[in-house]
Amino acid sequence: MDIVRLAINILIFPGGLFAISLGLFLTGVDRKLYARLQRRVGPPIYQPCIDMIKLSQKEIIIPRTANYTFFRFAPILGFAGMLAAIAIIPVTGIYSGLYKSGDLLVLLYLLSLPALSLMIGASASGSPYSSIGLSREMTMMMAYEIPLLIVLLTVGMRVGMASGKTAVFSLSSIVDFQLKSGALLFDLPMLPAILAFMCCIPGTVGVVPFDIAEAETEIAEGPLLEYSGAGLAMFKLTGGLKMLVLSALAIALFFPSGIGDFWLINLLWFIAKCMVLSFFTTTLVRATRARMRMDQAFKFYLLFPTALALVSLILTLLRV
Amino acid sequence: MSDLLQKIIKKSPWIYRINAGSCNGCDVEMATTALIPRYDVERLGIRYCGSPKHADIVLISGPVTAVVRDKVLRVYDEIPNPKVVVAVGICPISGGVFRDSYAVENQLDAYIPVDVNVPGCPPRPQAIIDGIAMAIEIWKTRF
Repeated sequence: MDIVRLAINILIFPGGLFAISLGLFLTGVDRKLYARLQRRVGPPIYQPCIDMIKLSQKEIIIPRTANYTFFRFAPILGFAGMLAAIAIIPVTGIYSGLYKSGDLLVLLYLLSLPALSLMIGASASGSPYSSIGLSREMTMMMAYEIPLLIVLLTVGMRVGMASGKTAVFSLSSIVDFQLKSGALLFDLPMLPAILAFMCCIPGTVGVVPFDIAEAETEIAEGPLLEYSGAGLAMFKLTGGLKMLVLSALAIALFFPSGIGDFWLINLLWFIAKCMVLSFFTTTLVRATRARMRMDQAFKFYLLFPTALALVSLILTLLRV
Repeated sequence: MSDLLQKIIKKSPWIYRINAGSCNGCDVEMATTALIPRYDVERLGIRYCGSPKHADIVLISGPVTAVVRDKVLRVYDEIPNPKVVVAVGICPISGGVFRDSYAVENQLDAYIPVDVNVPGCPPRPQAIIDGIAMAIEIWKTRF
């Protein structure tokens, strides 16, 4: 029975079918709003679905210099990692998560899988542009993982200290704690950490100020350069899922409050929260900022989000 | 392939530009058609991509000079099927002002199959969008 439940959680709800459609929907809304911000009509909201269908019908070209096995299976790694990640995160009133303890640490590793799969794909495709993209992706990952880790640690400490333990790395207890004693969003010492987390989202998703690894105008989409057809579709899908996972994680960490007990209202409330979050962290940022250089982005992540997250951590530790 | 699939797929053509020795006039017009809000081709699902491996419709400008010819053929081979070629400007059609140049051996359709010609020096943005719309109709029948 457990295996059936696990399969449903990963393949249908909240992972799999549900996550893919919501991820595509978020991407479509993002593209539409981005166009509206530039006073354009923009593509329809279902445009990403059309793109996926088209890409699945295209020919797949594998370069002679590529390593066949790694080149073909790299996209699946990141995609599977994201499906597993979304199955771990609890959604208030609908879904209580897969595990009872330590899932925050598992999630941290799963979150690095898309970047890792991009790196494996890039190194296996044997193109010089891809290897430039690979090195940039690796540098970016080192930059944004540090503040992300400190934010997760801060939340864990905050919840753990309030319940008399040292640190709690369980998403379900973090959510339960907030449902009982108010969301961390309204907790003043946590505000810097929230800002730091929001700074990390565009870097992790890889949108414009931080899309240095995929910069299409300088290195021709970097790691994705050699991918065509289904492999490319899978990478694009992983991008949408990454947005969804990060929004869901931010909601679980800082603002999991639901409305009432009815599941449909809670679901719509969750989707609304995801949309607002992705608008402010992705669409608005990429519509108003230009692409940074690698060193600027690296410096940015090691200065502002890290400092903000550390301030929050110190404030949390001092309150004892 | 079924009609429904064709109807869906024709809303997502991705465009790639190849400059085959062009004077940059046509390239400026092509960038104008897609990049400024006035003509907003993204509402048709069109987007520029940085890599030939992602492309569906190729826009080729320039007279295909002897030096650049092999590179154009190589990039053309890297575009996954089904694909459509649009020759933008008079140069790839007949050589244009470079017709009798020592650097130009032959026009574009001597090397690769061209589906749509958009004449002009340079063509107007509306003409290029019209050419792309014709290319989409040809492209969807190839699935």
